[in-house]
Amino acid sequence: MTIKYEIIDHTADIGLRIIGSDLKELFQNSGLSLFQISSRKQFTKDKRHTPVVIKQKAENIEELFINWLNELLSLSAVKGLIFYHIKINKINQNSLEAICQGSSINNYKVNTEIKAATYHNLSIKNNEKGWEARVILDV
Amino acid sequence: MSDSLRLEKIDDFRWRIPAGYKPGMRVPGIIYADERLLRDIREDKALEQVANVAFLPGIVNASFAMPDIHWGYGFPIGGVAATDPEKGGVISPAGVGFDINCGVRMLRTDLAYDDIKDKLNNLVDALFSGIPSGVGSKGDIRVSIKEEEEILVKGSRWAVEKGFGIQDDLDCTEENGAMQGADPGAVSDRAYQRGRAQSGTLGSGNHFLEIQVIDQLYDAKACNALDLNLGQITLMIHSGSRGLGYQICEDYTRSMVQCLNKYDIKIPDRQLACAPVDSSEGMAYLSAMKCAANYAWANRQCLMHLTRNIFERVFNSSWQKLGMSLIYDVAHNIAKIERNMVSGENRVLCVHRKGATRAIPAGHPDLPQKYMKIGQPVIIPGDMGRNSYLLAADKNAGETFFSCCHGAGRLKSRSAALHTINADTLLKELESQGIIIKASGRSTIVEEAPEAYKNVNDVVRVVHNAGIARRVCRMRPLGVIKG
Repeated sequence: MTIKYEIIDHTADIGLRIIGSDLKELFQNSGLSLFQISSRKQFTKDKRHTPVVIKQKAENIEELFINWLNELLSLSAVKGLIFYHIKINKINQNSLEAICQGSSINNYKVNTEIKAATYHNLSIKNNEKGWEARVILDV
Repeated sequence: MSDSLRLEKIDDFRWRIPAGYKPGMRVPGIIYADERLLRDIREDKALEQVANVAFLPGIVNASFAMPDIHWGYGFPIGGVAATDPEKGGVISPAGVGFDINCGVRMLRTDLAYDDIKDKLNNLVDALFSGIPSGVGSKGDIRVSIKEEEEILVKGSRWAVEKGFGIQDDLDCTEENGAMQGADPGAVSDRAYQRGRAQSGTLGSGNHFLEIQVIDQLYDAKACNALDLNLGQITLMIHSGSRGLGYQICEDYTRSMVQCLNKYDIKIPDRQLACAPVDSSEGMAYLSAMKCAANYAWANRQCLMHLTRNIFERVFNSSWQKLGMSLIYDVAHNIAKIERNMVSGENRVLCVHRKGATRAIPAGHPDLPQKYMKIGQPVIIPGDMGRNSYLLAADKNAGETFFSCCHGAGRLKSRSAALHTINADTLLKELESQGIIIKASGRSTIVEEAPEAYKNVNDVVRVVHNAGIARRVCRMRPLGVIKG
């Protein structure tokens, strides 16, 4: 599966442009792009770990997006998992429910530590082709 | 950077963004730089960020930027802002950053270059294998939950009580290695979990441990007082609060985004989310931030302890006999309540330093007695191929609320570095200059290549000439351990 994202330049950190045909795909791609970067595109599939359910609520789509990415980063660090499969079950502008499958971080040589996703220069747009988000990650 | 921004030259080392540049700026921006550095600074969005910080309620005098300024998120890296709590001043987690109390400490030794040149490879290998580094690395220093709470309150003192150092180390650490008022109750369970088992770990990215040699002395009196000479071996350790700090910043940014409506705060970038310093949200953040700051000091104390142990093994001598005393430890991502003179009035301000180092000059009451005459040591790590500096706070430091630059400052993005720099060529080049690098990943070496950074010599020239901090001595790297 191709995860539709590209890295955009930022002096100190990493900028991402992510696209999706709908909101579900945008959030799925955005989440997976974090782990594509840290695992250097070498996902190891391993179903030994129980899938993690993530539920988020927010005031608006921007907050939902940032909270979602930061929750993934936080859970990844706490559980020692790299999430390689994400399914968004439900999503609207204010809430989402997702199920995420991860494999142990020990299967990877992780060099890039993403500390967090930020609101700086954040944009989430809907156009005739679908959705596009731009976000800057603190690394 | 916007074409409409016309910087006003104050003098050769100070530039102003007029407060009228963006409607909503409460104060001007002041940038410390010379014309050469300014050319690079104008290339990215750092100056826009200086202007954005000037929107913060209660900001005093100016939104300041140090010469190592570059584009960050929210605050620029190299940004300093003080707010007055009595005038609605706010505290913003973005003015501290995710890696709370990222900072650097410098040790001296009695060793000379000749004493270590034949052992350098062994030493670098021993340090690399003995000091946990890399993403999510876990340390050998394991603690219980109760002990972790103790670390958050006691900071470096916890480590010293465990036998990982001595009282003199605390005297030579900013805040003596622990900010008062840290409240573990303000730290979420998730933050605890994320920080657990990372004490005594270096982390990744730009964090490092470096063996250096002094190659230039500038201030004989200060060098004498610090017992530093040409050809002498020194060490620098750069690390922070790791996952604990990231999670605290995230938790409170999340809550402070909600404060913008609650307190009717208008800012141009939501990452600058903030709350009045004296609000419940502001006070809770400050209490939690102090926990992460104390954790980071304990962490650097543990890293120094591990380093001393490794030197003891390699040189078959005690660290005391090797003269491995701490010169100083400074935070460069922090917010602190500090006294400052504002228009002739003594004010208590909340000083944010995002990629900036405190710099209190000779005679300041917060200085340890041993530095009362020379001023606070200000440690400026450069890149892994060029120089690092030891400075001392100077007479004009009060104009930046006693703040100085924190490093060389990035020039090139990580992806640009990865596209243009070859790891093998770089390692060979560094080796030919007598520098040995060990890193957990080759990409880290490339991302942290010297050409990705500004020339620290240019950065230091500005703060020296502006009278913020004067040069004491310069070091060059010999061995570098990277996360």
